[in-house]
Amino acid sequence: MVIDRRKAILFTSAAALRLVLFFTFPSLPVLLTGRVEISTPVTSFKRLQEGLFLYTHNVSPYDGGVFHQAPLLLPLFALIPPSLFSPLTAILYIGLDLLCANALMHITESGESGSSRLFTSPRKDMKWDSIAVASAYLFNPFTIATCIGRPTSVFTNCAILYAIAQAVSGKPITSMLALGLASYLSLYPALLLPPMILLCYDGKARETKALPNATFSTATYLSVFSASIAWFLHLSKILTGGSTAYLASTYGVHLLLPDLTPNVGLWWYFFIEMFDSFREFFLGVFWLHLGAYVGALCIRLRTQPLFVITTLLGIFAIFKPYPSISDTSLYLAMLPLYRHVFPLMRYTFFAMATILYATLLGPAFYYLWIYAGSGNANFFYAITLVWSLGLSEIVADSLFAVLRDEWEVERPEMKGKDVRQI
Amino acid sequence: MKRFFCLLLSLLLGLLVSADPDYKELLNLQPLNPASLLASFNFWSKASLQSYEQQHFKYIPRSLGQILQHAKTRELHLRFSTGRWDDESWGARPWGGTKEGGTGVELWAWVEADSDSGSFARWVTLNNALSGLFCASLNFIDSTRTTRPRMTFEPTSSVSNTSSENMYLLHGTLPREVVCTENLTPFLKLLPCKGKAGIASLLDGHKLFDASWQSMAIDVRSVCSEDGSECSIEMEQTVDMVLDVDRSKRPRDNPIPRPIPSEHLHCDISKPYASNEACFPSDADLGQSWTIAEIFGRPIQGSCLSEDSQGQLRDSVCINVPLDREVNPYGDAVETKNEAGSGRCFAIPASKPFEMVLSHIGPQTFNDISQPPLYASRSFTGHGQERGGVQTLLTNPSRTSSIEFVYFETLPWFMKPYLHTLDARLSTSSTSSPEIIKETFYRPALDRRRGTQLELLVSVPAASTVVLTYDFDKAILRYTEYPPDANRGFDVAPAVIRLLPVEGQAEVYIRTSSLLLPLPTPDFSMPYNVIILTSTVMALAFGMIFNLLVRRFVGADEVEGWNLAALKAKARGRAMALLDRVLRKGKEKKVQ
Repeated sequence: MVIDRRKAILFTSAAALRLVLFFTFPSLPVLLTGRVEISTPVTSFKRLQEGLFLYTHNVSPYDGGVFHQAPLLLPLFALIPPSLFSPLTAILYIGLDLLCANALMHITESGESGSSRLFTSPRKDMKWDSIAVASAYLFNPFTIATCIGRPTSVFTNCAILYAIAQAVSGKPITSMLALGLASYLSLYPALLLPPMILLCYDGKARETKALPNATFSTATYLSVFSASIAWFLHLSKILTGGSTAYLASTYGVHLLLPDLTPNVGLWWYFFIEMFDSFREFFLGVFWLHLGAYVGALCIRLRTQPLFVITTLLGIFAIFKPYPSISDTSLYLAMLPLYRHVFPLMRYTFFAMATILYATLLGPAFYYLWIYAGSGNANFFYAITLVWSLGLSEIVADSLFAVLRDEWEVERPEMKGKDVRQI
Repeated sequence: MKRFFCLLLSLLLGLLVSADPDYKELLNLQPLNPASLLASFNFWSKASLQSYEQQHFKYIPRSLGQILQHAKTRELHLRFSTGRWDDESWGARPWGGTKEGGTGVELWAWVEADSDSGSFARWVTLNNALSGLFCASLNFIDSTRTTRPRMTFEPTSSVSNTSSENMYLLHGTLPREVVCTENLTPFLKLLPCKGKAGIASLLDGHKLFDASWQSMAIDVRSVCSEDGSECSIEMEQTVDMVLDVDRSKRPRDNPIPRPIPSEHLHCDISKPYASNEACFPSDADLGQSWTIAEIFGRPIQGSCLSEDSQGQLRDSVCINVPLDREVNPYGDAVETKNEAGSGRCFAIPASKPFEMVLSHIGPQTFNDISQPPLYASRSFTGHGQERGGVQTLLTNPSRTSSIEFVYFETLPWFMKPYLHTLDARLSTSSTSSPEIIKETFYRPALDRRRGTQLELLVSVPAASTVVLTYDFDKAILRYTEYPPDANRGFDVAPAVIRLLPVEGQAEVYIRTSSLLLPLPTPDFSMPYNVIILTSTVMALAFGMIFNLLVRRFVGADEVEGWNLAALKAKARGRAMALLDRVLRKGKEKKVQ
């Protein structure tokens, strides 16, 4: 009961904070919706409103260059009566944040991060409890800014967190459905499929206290995943009047990057400056680079699929085509699950300082470039480089910490000693 | 039988000869206010459809006719314009704005084709051919600059209904195009006298492109008689310009304006600060007096063609001033008074130069300028290179009747409007009035493929101003897509407003001025640096992660340290081994 009361207090205060921000500063949502760090061409709330307007006025929103989001979002938002649109969307987004926090608490309580089926960390008692993890998510400024800015990536984040929560509690089917929804909404979560299958398998095995048939389970999970995707695509096709034009306008934009609006990632400036004849080649290289981590991490960290997912989320937040701070907030939500390995990290100060530096200077440099005219595009580009470096430092450092933690199970005598890699 | 045919043939020939005139030209001069003069040149020619289709060209130029036939174009409207029509002080536009284009080049045509794509292919053919003919960048009217307006343009041809089904209207604009002499020369070459005689002899690049506002227009259309038995092709070439009289009268050998001595200054004493010390120079009481040669640099070089078979004059000059003003033509020009009572026309004699004086003697009065039916102005709002808004003010000056019109805008694809922010309100209220916009046609842009097309049916109540606003985002482009001088910005084509004809009145067109859209620009000088720096960050992350994944841990004390002495010893050992091997090889060779 004590836990429940703490949870209630946490959720109420988080919701109250967001409500206050939404309703006492009416210009704040508009301001944050317009920020390039929060709204990307594939998640922007303003573009969603435009798509919704066209959809309700019988113009295909996919026959245009503004709306690139999944078709299922349209009927969802069309349900909201226009007179109450902004308060109800505010409540919807606050609800989504709380759902995410709830899923995170499930994941924490399962203890998967400290001891998975194949591996138990010697430091697992150091980990944070679920309230701490959830409050680290709910009171993260990136999460709050994302919630107020209302990008649709919040839906993806929620689906991913639910997929993980269901997987660790031994419900692979719902987990695959949730992952299917996430992949349907923004494509890149499909890369999480291999570690998610491992996590589902481990979760199932732990639940049933017996080893299920590996091939059969994988086939089942894969088919559930593909069936859910197929179902969502079929629904979308019906919604858009039987045409498949939405595929090019949603996933095509993720894959081919026609819209070069600045964001915190590395793709936009690279493809502005790229020579025309090499554009397709480098698009391929960048996507390949994004996919290259999946296999390697899955093999090396087979014993801890949850950490593979966490690291992959961090990598996506840096290297996906249209990243925003909402992806970073998802990664930073997962990271506290590994609180027990934080003491093993080496460059936390450097990484946090870099992130903080980029967070503060990013908007300033963007202002100098776009509004003041006293800086040029390189200012903001340089800050995105710093931001990416800082995040990749955290990703690599946490990976180091987890690997070291794993190594110390084999060599307990090396605890606290210097290590070297050969 | 044979004789009967001969008789019929001669009768037909007689009919053809006695038909309407096939070429006319008219210059209409209208002082707008003491400072400016509107000169409208109009050249009109006609040919029967039969002779046109048989490639028998007389006054319709062969070069243009063959292009139109090749591209299966039934109706063509081409406009070259510069400057802005100042309707606050100049009043309504000449020809009701129907012979006017937006700044730059504007082209719209009805093309005959089987399908949408077929019509676009013909449109491209037409643009490429016209581009060569008129030395304009018309070939740059690609799919992003082409629209298919629904409500804004109506065909002026009277074509039978059966063929109008596969007629496609296409419209393209080039707001950035600078209209200049190289466009005027081919324009004049289309005339029967090539600008050497007739009123066209006044058209000189120095004067035309020095005007405050000018518009050159070419319209080709086909006209059929009521029963559809007899069709003909009509072509009209029009040049309208508003000249600054003082500037035009400045002698060419001494064009630098000098300050007027104070005793010759005319002061506007209606100003509140007018006194003996302060003078606001006024040209209101100066009046206007000039000769054609003073304004255009030369007199009209005789008429272009002699009288036609009916004895009707082909060449005339009209001046639109009150009848109590003195207008004196030199020589024996025939004067005909206009029925309206305000105009006087003169026939241009066949082979003599024609000159005319608007005298400074007598009352210096002007005809009242007519009030335009609508004032329209469009501008950007907001600041910064990320997003902005468009605001259009539409004022209905009429005190009694409301006005209804089509508002047509084409926007380039890199300007991304949000239609859900489109809002129309009366300037007196702060809330939007949904009854102003009656109908909307919107075709959103597709990146790099299509521009935005927006057509609104708007109604403005009497004596009120409507404010039309919407927001847009500015896209950032690939660095090769920016034009030279990217920081100047991109031109956005003027909005076209078509006032729907009320009964008994002709339709009126109004165009707003074009807009200059600044876009965010990347640094053009550093593609290599960006490629290198981004790749470095990616390589760093990739390296860090894969380094951790593929290597294994050992204790720091379990492997050799990186001290200098050990390194030196190791290097020495390697070097000795290498030397040894080389030496041994040498020895072996010797032995062999």
